[in-house]
Amino acid sequence: MESATNHQAQVPPLHGDVDKLPSGSRPAIAASAQPILRWFQAQTIEQRVLAGFSLVFVGILIISAMSYHNTSDLLRNSGLDGRSHELILLLGNIDAAMGEAEGSHRRYLVTGEQTYLDAYTRVIAQKPTFTTLLKDLTQDSPEQERRAAELDRLMERQVSVESKANAQVKERGLHSVRKMALEGAGRHELDGIHQIISEMDVYERQAVTRRVIASATGTRYTILLLAVGAVLQLVLLASVYYLIRHDVTERRRVAGELQRRGELLEAANKELEAFSYSVSHDLRAPLRHIDGYAALLRKAVDQSLNEKAARYLQTISDAAKQMGQLIDDLLVFSRMGRQEMLQATVNMDQLIQSILSDLRLDLQGRHVSWTIDSLPEVKGDPAMLRQVFMNLLTNALKFTSTKATASIEVGVESLSSGEAVLYIRDNGVGFDMQYAPKLFGVFQRLHRADEFEGTGIGLANVRRIVHRHGGRTWADAVPDKGATFYVALPRGETQL
Amino acid sequence: MTLAKPIVLAEDNPRDAELALAAMEEEHISDKVVLCHDGAEVLDYLYCRGQYKTRLQGNPAVVFLDLKMPKVNGLEVLRTIKADDKLRAIPVVMLTSSREERDLTESYTLGANAYVVKPVEFHQFLSAVKELGVFWGVINEPPPEQVWSAQ
Repeated sequence: MESATNHQAQVPPLHGDVDKLPSGSRPAIAASAQPILRWFQAQTIEQRVLAGFSLVFVGILIISAMSYHNTSDLLRNSGLDGRSHELILLLGNIDAAMGEAEGSHRRYLVTGEQTYLDAYTRVIAQKPTFTTLLKDLTQDSPEQERRAAELDRLMERQVSVESKANAQVKERGLHSVRKMALEGAGRHELDGIHQIISEMDVYERQAVTRRVIASATGTRYTILLLAVGAVLQLVLLASVYYLIRHDVTERRRVAGELQRRGELLEAANKELEAFSYSVSHDLRAPLRHIDGYAALLRKAVDQSLNEKAARYLQTISDAAKQMGQLIDDLLVFSRMGRQEMLQATVNMDQLIQSILSDLRLDLQGRHVSWTIDSLPEVKGDPAMLRQVFMNLLTNALKFTSTKATASIEVGVESLSSGEAVLYIRDNGVGFDMQYAPKLFGVFQRLHRADEFEGTGIGLANVRRIVHRHGGRTWADAVPDKGATFYVALPRGETQL
Repeated sequence: MTLAKPIVLAEDNPRDAELALAAMEEEHISDKVVLCHDGAEVLDYLYCRGQYKTRLQGNPAVVFLDLKMPKVNGLEVLRTIKADDKLRAIPVVMLTSSREERDLTESYTLGANAYVVKPVEFHQFLSAVKELGVFWGVINEPPPEQVWSAQ
């Protein structure tokens, strides 16, 4: 009680109603069960189920063992009963036989008739059989064994007394044994035999009675145990049924939920598609008109246009173009997320070479020192990967444009059977690493628009494509020293 | 520059139409342009009915189709043209703002002869429309004229 109360003080109570009871009146069983209950509630549902099942299982095991034990006791008892009855019968037989032997012998001593002697000899011939059976049937009980030995000794003595009398008749005639004939030669021994046999009989009958009572108790006990076992098994079955049902219901619910979410997602995707379709279609038209009419206006007032007015018109056109570019970039970005992906082996050497040949025009008037390693093959969508490295190389060129000599390096950072990590390093303006988390966001720019042009969608596309390939991308930079962009691509089949 | 056959331009947006016509003007082919404001009008023209009941018989040199139009949209007009034996030979050029893959796919599947995305930048738009007008209206040899049975 004391320890339970201490426990109570440390751990918040589990049940408010238990806590409300005054501690003195709290039942002792509840108090001692509380730590167990608390332990039980601290377990996960799987552990609880396991604990419950183990308990029931152990219970059933114990009950089975006890029932087995009881039943084998019963079997042994019934075997012993059989032997007891045999012993009782045997004792009766011995009693009768020895009595008959004594009678026949006495008659022989009185009459000298050979037929009585023959009868006596016939009865006495059974004596070794009696001895063997007695030994066999009393070996379970030391007490009976002792009595059996005594009985055997008395029987032996009776026989030997009677044999002596027979010998005397042969030597000295009937008259020499007259007195003995009247008294009975083995009379004294026979009385002892009767005495011992009745003792053994009583003892054996008592043993039988004891065993009958014990068996009845054992049987009742076994029936009770079996009933408890059956109840436990029912409990086990019921919990298995409950758990399976619960599990199936849960699964059905989860499947339903999944389907519902899938439908929602599909609807959202459709909406998104409609949205981007609308953007692509309807948003571009007004921009085209702004730029178009600005151009027409310039043409119409060409002669009277002063410098300021011309600049305003130019700004209108530029703004419209810029917004057109933003819309296009956004649409590309949205398409990258939805487009079907191809699965092919992409030769990165060829990919980089083809990008460089596409960039020829941008390279005019630039001093660029290229260092391009031999690159591995990767698995992926060739067009999408081309977009990734096109963006990264264009960036490298763009952000080195302030340097007299740009130095751009394409290489392999690490290569394993599962993944290839490629990098593109430049000696450009770099960026402050504290802005690195913003680097791959949509429309995130780390440089002012008048420093470097661009809409800020390129790296967002890079990340989206690399993620769709199951890869990773990150960057490292030092301001004014350069930046390194890493692309980790899986080399096996992408599960998408 | 003489142009035997008219160019049908289906464009519901008057500003786009004006800009396109301005571009054609520079190439002196704007007088051959028949401007239709929706898909139904295009079909009326092609089948010589409604306001075009009295027009000269014969197919146009080319039909420029916007995708999004009131009443009958561009894809429906395209489907009708390519399903009609008498109209199938007319070159149809989709001239649209949409670069959506499904629009491209569907247009080509239905038998469009070309698909041009209207550039946002006016100068590009201008040159695109000019080139299209000159190519399909002048350079390209239209299919031989079929003689329609007069209604």
